[in-house]
Amino acid sequence: MTISTVGLVGAGGIAHLHLPGWLKLGFAVVVHSIDGQAPALTRQYGGRAVDSMDELLDSADIVDVATPTDTHRLLVERAAEAGKHVVCEKPMALTIADSAAMIAACERAGVRLFPAHVVRYFPAYAAMRTAVAGGRIGPPAVQRFFRIGSAPKQPWYRDRARSGGIAMDQMIHDFDLARWSAGDVEAVYATWVGDETTASTTVQAILRHHSGTISHVNGVWGNPTLGFHTGFSVAGPGGLLEHDSLRHPVLDYDGHSDAGETGYVPPVEAASSPYTAELSDFARAIREGGRARVTPEDGLEAVRIAAAVNRSVDEHTEIALEDVR
Amino acid sequence: MKVGIISFAHTHAISYASILRDRSDVECVATDPGNVARPAGESGGRELAESIGVVYVDTVDELLAWHPDAVIVCSENTRHVEDVERAAAAGAHVLCEKPLATTRRDARRIIDACDRAGVSLMTAFPVRFTAQYAQLRHRVQTGAMGKVLSISGANNGRLPSERAWFTDPALAGGGAVADHTVHVADLVFGLFPDSDAEEVFAVANRLLRPDCEVETAGLVSIRYSNGLTAVIDCSWSVPDHYPTWGGLTVRVITEGGIAELAPFAERVDGFSETDQSPLWLSYGADLDAAMLDEFLGAIAEVRQPVPSGRDGLRALEVVLAAYESIATGRPAAVQPL
Repeated sequence: MTISTVGLVGAGGIAHLHLPGWLKLGFAVVVHSIDGQAPALTRQYGGRAVDSMDELLDSADIVDVATPTDTHRLLVERAAEAGKHVVCEKPMALTIADSAAMIAACERAGVRLFPAHVVRYFPAYAAMRTAVAGGRIGPPAVQRFFRIGSAPKQPWYRDRARSGGIAMDQMIHDFDLARWSAGDVEAVYATWVGDETTASTTVQAILRHHSGTISHVNGVWGNPTLGFHTGFSVAGPGGLLEHDSLRHPVLDYDGHSDAGETGYVPPVEAASSPYTAELSDFARAIREGGRARVTPEDGLEAVRIAAAVNRSVDEHTEIALEDVR
Repeated sequence: MKVGIISFAHTHAISYASILRDRSDVECVATDPGNVARPAGESGGRELAESIGVVYVDTVDELLAWHPDAVIVCSENTRHVEDVERAAAAGAHVLCEKPLATTRRDARRIIDACDRAGVSLMTAFPVRFTAQYAQLRHRVQTGAMGKVLSISGANNGRLPSERAWFTDPALAGGGAVADHTVHVADLVFGLFPDSDAEEVFAVANRLLRPDCEVETAGLVSIRYSNGLTAVIDCSWSVPDHYPTWGGLTVRVITEGGIAELAPFAERVDGFSETDQSPLWLSYGADLDAAMLDEFLGAIAEVRQPVPSGRDGLRALEVVLAAYESIATGRPAAVQPL
C-alpha cells in the first residue's frame, strides 16, 4: 500500500508548520477545517482544501489532527475507525482517560498513532538527549527547563476546559523532555501565578523522577511583545549541558525595527524545520514499521505529568503520578 | 578603623582580608585557631595570613584584646554563634558570613547578643551589592515592569572542595540547600521587603556526589504573602574543572515582561592552549568590596548596615522550612520572624 496523502485537520497555528512540512516530504495534502481557513492555508502553501471530514478521510492515508485539544479524541477515534494512521498534535488529550482511549482505538484499528512532541526534534534538545543517553555527563542529577513566549492569541487557549492551561499546552513539551532525559516521573509539585484570562501567566513545577533526578520546569505565557525563548541545564556527576535559544544565533540583526518576530512558536527555517523532521520520522515509522522518536505512551505520560501539575496547583501539595489516572 | 577577622574556615575570608589590607583607613588583624583541626593540606592559620599580608594572632582572645571596632566572622556555619557572641561582648560590630546560623535558636542568639551589646550586625550577602540589582529593584518597586508574578533563581557552584567542612553536616548544618538557597532568597526579600515567605516545598538528592554526607542538589519552591512564587536551584552542579566557580541568575517574570539578572556574567571568553581548557576572565565589580564599604560605612555613620542580622534570619527560615519539607515530602510553613 502506498502512503501518499495526508489529511490535515485544522488550519490554525500548527497547520502553518505541518502543511509545508508534509508538502516538502512529497506528500499530497488535503486540508479540512471548520473555521473556514483551509482555502487560505492551501493558497499560501499548496495542498487542497476539502469541505468535510468524510471527504478528507476518503483521500487520506494519514490523518494529522492539528485542532484544539478538546477535539483530539473525537477526531483521532474517527480517523482510526476509518483505518488511517494518525498524527496528533500535543497534548494528545486533556485527560489520561481520553489519551488511553485514543491509544486503544488505534490499537483496535491496527493503525499507528504519533503524538507530535516536536521539541524532541529540535536539534539542541536532541543533542542533549544523545549526550545524556551516551553517558557524557553521567546520570542526570538536576535539570532545569524553561519556555517563555507571548500568550497564544486564539481564544481557545485561554479556556482551561479546552486547552488545559499553560501546563498542559506549553510546559508539556518540557515535561516530555525532562522524562526523555531522566526517565519516568514519580511526583510533582507546582505553583501557578496569573491565569489564562490575565495578560501573563506562569507555572513553576518541580518533578521528582524514579531515578532520583530532580527537575525544574518553568513556563511563561506573557505579553505580546515577548520573544520566544527556551533553554535547559542538565547536570550530572560527569558534567553539565546548557542551552539558551537566544545565544549563538546564526543570523542576527540590529537596528532593524522589523527584524524580529515575537510569538507563541519558535521561528524555524523551512529547510531545517524540526516540524518537518518530526513528520518525516513519523512517515518513516509508518512505511518501515519501526518506532518513532515519540511513542503513544510518551504522549500519555506527558499528559499524566501535566495533569498532576494542574492538580498540585489546586491542592498545594506534591502529587504522586500513580494517583493520577 | 580596626577590623578583626575570626577564622579562615570560610574562604571568603581570604577575599575580605585582601580588600581590608588594601584599604588605607583600615587596620586588619586575623586569627584562625580552628586551622589546627582542619584536614592536612587545607590552607589557614599564620601561613595564610602572612601570604595575604595581614597581621596574625593566635587566639580569639588576643584578637579581641586588640579592641577591634568591627569583626568579620568566617568560621564554620555551626560555630558562628560562639564567635559572634564573643565579638559582640567585646563591643565589636559584626559582619557574619552566610548562612547566619544553622538553627533558629543560634540565629536568635546571634541577633540577641548584638542587640544586648549595642553593636550592629550584618549578614554577608554580597550579591545584593550588584549595581544592576539596585536598578532592577528600582524598576520593580516603582512598578515599571508591572506586577511581578514569579521568580526563577539559580545559585550553582562547584562542590566546595577547598574546605572539607562544607560537606560535614555537623559543621555546615546541611549541604547545597543551606549553602546556596540563602543568596537568592535574600535577593527576593530585597525586592519585596514587606512580604513574607509563607510556605516552602523542596526536593534534594546526592546524585552528583553519592559519597557526600549532605545533599548536593536541591530545588526550593517558595510562596510569599504578596502572591509571589519563586523557585531556587541551589545545586552544587558546576563540574570541578569548569572554567569558573559557578554563578547566580535571577529571572523575574512580570506582567510587563521578563528581567534576567546575572551578576557574575561579565567576562572575556577564550581558550588556553597551555592549559588545554577554556578561559573565563571575569571582570565584574568586586561585590565583596562593595559589601565591606557598606559594613564599615554604616559603622562610621552610626547606622544599621543592610542586609542585617534579621535579613540573615529571614533567609535562614526559608532554608529551615526547605529541610523540613525535604524530610516530610510536604510543603512546610515558614516560621514568621
